[in-house]
Amino acid sequence: MAGEDLAGMISRVSLGDRAAFSALYSATSPKLFSVCLRILKDRTDAEDALQEIFVKIWHRADRFAASGINPLGWLMAIARNHSIDLLRARKPVASNIDEDGWDIADSGADPEQAAVLKGEGKRIDTCMEELESDRAGAVRSAYVEGLSYQELADRHAVPLNTMRTWLRRSLLKLRECLDR
Amino acid sequence: MTTPDQSEGDRARDQVIAGEYVLGVLSLEERRNVEARMMRDTAFAAMVGRWAENLSSFNEDYDLVSPRAAVYPRIEARLFPASQKSGFAGVWSSVTLWRSLTALSVILLAGTVVLQTQPFRPQSPDQPLVAQMSGEGNAISLVASYQADSGRLSVTPVAAGPSDQKSLELWMISGNDPAVSLGVLPQNGDGEIEIPEAMRSRIAAGVTLAVSLEPYGGSPTGKATGPVIAAGQTRIP
Repeated sequence: MAGEDLAGMISRVSLGDRAAFSALYSATSPKLFSVCLRILKDRTDAEDALQEIFVKIWHRADRFAASGINPLGWLMAIARNHSIDLLRARKPVASNIDEDGWDIADSGADPEQAAVLKGEGKRIDTCMEELESDRAGAVRSAYVEGLSYQELADRHAVPLNTMRTWLRRSLLKLRECLDR
Repeated sequence: MTTPDQSEGDRARDQVIAGEYVLGVLSLEERRNVEARMMRDTAFAAMVGRWAENLSSFNEDYDLVSPRAAVYPRIEARLFPASQKSGFAGVWSSVTLWRSLTALSVILLAGTVVLQTQPFRPQSPDQPLVAQMSGEGNAISLVASYQADSGRLSVTPVAAGPSDQKSLELWMISGNDPAVSLGVLPQNGDGEIEIPEAMRSRIAAGVTLAVSLEPYGGSPTGKATGPVIAAGQTRIP
């Protein structure tokens, strides 16, 4: 699945090329289906989701060129966003932004420094190593499995607001590290 | 980077919300709010984009799991109901021609093509050699013009045939902004469009140019209504 091949396939899909669409499906459906399964946890739901995701890919392929991101990243974002939307619609979670857990001031992130973009920054892996391991684990499983704050709190046996603070501080630390 | 009307705390909060959106921990309503804000706040959209890129290396945690073979036929049945097969078939079948036109956007802007009523003319040093390339029943033809003295061959699409009464419209898409029409390609096959003065500064490397098939004279709505038959990002050659 070389990036260039995928980009070429998506461009041809945007021109309505069904053979390219079929090739794109063959090349990427195992990866995208894996996203659906990990997040939705049910095979039938995941297959339905995969169907919707490829319908979206067909209709949105012409926007790919404007997105400027790597082709697999673009496809994965469509798959993750769709799966997470389904999950949140099925099992609503409490609002987070207006709740507590904004005690994030001592993150160590210097906003001025963070605001100065220095090229690509570091790879996320290096920055994840700077986090305490349970917090890094929470960040990663939120992303990969689509866990809610409540599920993360239960898994790590900490109060909900503690988990919110953990994750928010971790995000700021990652941002600061990536920009450093 | 500091904006006077936004405190440091607000910026940190925006970074967190952008990151939370990409992680997926927000509620459905919050996700819709974030997406709405991305549409109107490009700085915030860029934050989300950076998180998406940064966190995308977690994608390696997803193994490969093949879906059942029955899934793909269901997708095809959704997208291509049998009744629609004839509709744009003519256009789609010309796709092969388009594939080779990787520099289409450059040609559209820079190409000068003379369409002759005769497919070929005897060549003289300052007369281009011209060919109209078309396929049976295609809504689109390509006009190739070869300038012997410069060695340049340019290719220009034209919506063929008065019976079709279609026009090709050129669009510019910059970032997440909606497509802006740059004009309708002249029906005479001349591939040059004069870009309105106000638009010129917006055409820079990295914007996407696209061509759609529209009713004769161009889109009636100001948005592309027909199929996008070609798209490409501008770059410095």
